Amino acid sequence: MSEDIQQRTPHCRRLDRRSVLKGFAGATAISALPYAARAEGAKEAPALAKLVVDGKLAPLADRIPASPMVVTVEKVGRYGGALRRGLRGSADHNGILRMVGNQGLVRWNLAFTEVLPNVAEKWEVNADSTEFTFHLRKGMKWSDGHPFTADDIVFAIEDCAKNTELYKSPPTPIVIGGKAGTVTKIDDTTMKFTFASPYALFLEQMATPLGQHPTLFAKHYCSQFHPKYNPAVADLVKAANLSDWGTLFRSKCGDIEIPTRWGNADKPTLDPWVIKEPYTGGATRVVMERNPYFWQVDTAGNQLPYIDRLNFNISQDVESLMLDVISGRLDIQERHIDTLQNKPTLSQNMQKGGYRLIELINSGSQQVQIYLNLTHKDPKMREMFANKEFRKALSLGMNRSEIIELVYLGQSQPYQAGPRPGHPWYHATLATQFSEFDQAQANAILDKLGYAKKDANGFRLRPDGQKIFFAIDVIPTLYPDEVDALELAKRHWADIGIDIKVNTIERALYYTRGDNNDHDAAVWPGPGGLDPMLDPRDFFAQHTQGSRYAVPWAQWYVSGGKDGQEPPESQKQRMKLFDQARATADLQKRGEIMKQLFDLTADAFETIGICLAVNAFGICKTNLANVPAKYPNSWSWPNPGPALPQQFFFST
Amino acid sequence: MLRFIAKRLLWMVPSLIVVSFLAFVLIQLPPGDYVTTFIATLAASNEVVDQTTAADLRARFGLDQPMIIQYLKWISGILLHGDFGLSFEWQQPVSNLIWERMALTLVLTFSTLLATWGIALPVGVYSAVKKYSVGDYVVTFLSFLGLAIPSFLLALVLMYIAAVEFGQEVGGLFSEAYVNAPWSFGKVLDLLHHLWIPVIILAASGTASLIRVMRANMLDELNKPYVTTARAKGLSEFHLLVKYPLRLALNPFISTISWLLPNLVSGSIIVAIVLSLPTAGPLLLQSLMSQDMYLAGAFVLLICALTLIGSLISDILLALVDPRIRLE
Repeated sequence: MSEDIQQRTPHCRRLDRRSVLKGFAGATAISALPYAARAEGAKEAPALAKLVVDGKLAPLADRIPASPMVVTVEKVGRYGGALRRGLRGSADHNGILRMVGNQGLVRWNLAFTEVLPNVAEKWEVNADSTEFTFHLRKGMKWSDGHPFTADDIVFAIEDCAKNTELYKSPPTPIVIGGKAGTVTKIDDTTMKFTFASPYALFLEQMATPLGQHPTLFAKHYCSQFHPKYNPAVADLVKAANLSDWGTLFRSKCGDIEIPTRWGNADKPTLDPWVIKEPYTGGATRVVMERNPYFWQVDTAGNQLPYIDRLNFNISQDVESLMLDVISGRLDIQERHIDTLQNKPTLSQNMQKGGYRLIELINSGSQQVQIYLNLTHKDPKMREMFANKEFRKALSLGMNRSEIIELVYLGQSQPYQAGPRPGHPWYHATLATQFSEFDQAQANAILDKLGYAKKDANGFRLRPDGQKIFFAIDVIPTLYPDEVDALELAKRHWADIGIDIKVNTIERALYYTRGDNNDHDAAVWPGPGGLDPMLDPRDFFAQHTQGSRYAVPWAQWYVSGGKDGQEPPESQKQRMKLFDQARATADLQKRGEIMKQLFDLTADAFETIGICLAVNAFGICKTNLANVPAKYPNSWSWPNPGPALPQQFFFST
Repeated sequence: MLRFIAKRLLWMVPSLIVVSFLAFVLIQLPPGDYVTTFIATLAASNEVVDQTTAADLRARFGLDQPMIIQYLKWISGILLHGDFGLSFEWQQPVSNLIWERMALTLVLTFSTLLATWGIALPVGVYSAVKKYSVGDYVVTFLSFLGLAIPSFLLALVLMYIAAVEFGQEVGGLFSEAYVNAPWSFGKVLDLLHHLWIPVIILAASGTASLIRVMRANMLDELNKPYVTTARAKGLSEFHLLVKYPLRLALNPFISTISWLLPNLVSGSIIVAIVLSLPTAGPLLLQSLMSQDMYLAGAFVLLICALTLIGSLISDILLALVDPRIRLE
């Protein structure tokens, strides 16, 4: 833990952080060890070998780097086969990203606890975490055979991500303290990120999907759509009948999470499979084939991926994906079918469909986080919600075990917020305070607060004579379970004289109400169970859309005090602490700072939770090998990507 | 006649402009815009959009401008350059997206139409002529059943049976080998092999209602004196039926043409979604759901134009077929 950060080489980086998932990590250990010069002994897929013999493709040793990334596989696989997966017809491009497009500079280990080498072979960080030097793999190639060098990364960041015509403001992962970092080339395989202020979280950010910009744009291809390199780009824009070069650039080279990333078969990538039939409007399937220049090998020196091609079938109706699963026509799928309600059907048909279940560890913390709007526009409501005692009474008045039993089939435990049990930063008070069921105490608190008077229906009245009533916004199409949980909570709260409305609304309206601070209260799953540093929205007002208990405070924080409303002292302290934690590379020290932050959060008790976020389930065909039995389910750990689908193979 | 057609065509221009404006307003009416919907859809899979990206997207698509300006920008592109704009989601020209799907949509709609008429005409006539016979009761029962079962339910049930009981491939219009293959005899056969399921499902409800209409119309005509006269004069029963009452009873069929054209685009959306058909319907719904303004607007405009053209065609045809109808 106290190792010198400057000597952070992949061999000795055994950061024992978040031991929470260690158990299964050991069972299916997949980690990369950078061996030297492996390329000579490497073997390749039969189809590629044939192309080499015919002289249509360079020999393998020339196609992969001198030190390819070596994936420690559970079993050395066999080549061949097509893997089938399902996509939805609209806005499902991230379904492809999660499977193939996870090739950032660094990546997560299986347990989601530490960062491992990926495109970068190794790196050094200076003492105050402002300079990150990355060493790339010598001889690494894009999927079209063109060399991949430090120039590509400089181009991607300096010319693209920081270009104001392309991105109005630079992408958040490369920005700290309001200033974007700078990339400088040292030599062909070495480059350095420099930041104006300490940015210890940078490596973790680079392992998430939103941190992929450095490896996204191939300079030799994308520069033809960039005015700095191609003065005649205006002609191309005109020929394509588009309005500006930015639109052309995005339609050809894509961006991290827009559909056009998968819409151009000509674009070189670093992914294990490359697009053959693109994801475009009205497409009925997407086909990807192996990248002959893929830069990873297994422990026996075989070039990855094992599987020849990926077939993504596009279903307009998500329900028909379930039908595909049951009839055994998908090889690995968790997207769109992973709700708890589907679990009985999925387990019933395991034999018939020839698949097994994979457990997806919820990376979230809270299944149903209730955000009372502490910055409500109505001063009377604001006063009521802002009182910690009132929130405490609501929390005590809820029968959590009944909700867990009825809605979540007993698969959870009463919980408030904070890192999940087993996480090194688990905070007992924050996690479980006021989570017992004690209506007598709740009533006593409410009586003391001056809400003792009741109307004819037994509902409490405020001192101004108004009934205590508020609406909780929820999106039924997105989280049907939350509606059920709230309906039960409504009954429990009616017993302590509090009336609520479960306000089921359409999702765009939900967002609009939140953005305008028009809501009384809202629910959403509370994140930050495994990745508290990456999504701390429930610990202080950090996220302008996510911290729904105080959106104006979050706006104040994000804008550096220009917009929104000034938050109370406890919030300001936490904002400072978080900025400090983000700049601290030493994990132990960072943990201590976060402990102070959690203490303040627990003391403020702003959000009311019901139960620990419930694990989900995916399916995987029985003959698909090297798939871990469980892995995290997260956007920062874009499952199944970090489980390395390139080393999955069909055993029969 | 020509004067009538010219007048009708001229009237279409203001109607289309009004409709285009209304369509644009209606699509804008739900709270939020394309970007909010985009963020919300991704959030459903636990995915997060970078907050600076969201603001950037909104500015790039002009969603931060007042609606009237957005409308003027859109409509002037169409009127001045014939440019329907780029789909927000796909960053592809709207016109390409729509035309790509039109061919298969046409095939599906016309096959369904042929199947519907092919069944409904003879059965309707039979059921009218043999009123209150056993055959009439059977046909009536079946047609009420067809009317009562929602077509998407029928599609789901058929799909379930085909997938679970027979292990057959369901959904789509082609088998995997032919999806992106160039057109060939094999591909046409493959299409025919897949086409019958959606055609039967779509024809089921259409047939039922047309049988009822045909039966009622025929019954009206059969009791009229001219039929009795013709029969008294010794005309063969078949000849008599086909030559006189049937012709008159056909009017409602011709009227259906006016709603047939817009149905090309918007009809059978739910069935097409359930069966994953690569037709225009699912794309229309998708664009409306994601508030992809330009794509949805172009679709609505297309549907309106087709409705206007369709009703013109059916008016002209009615005038040609039925001498009692005059255009002036």
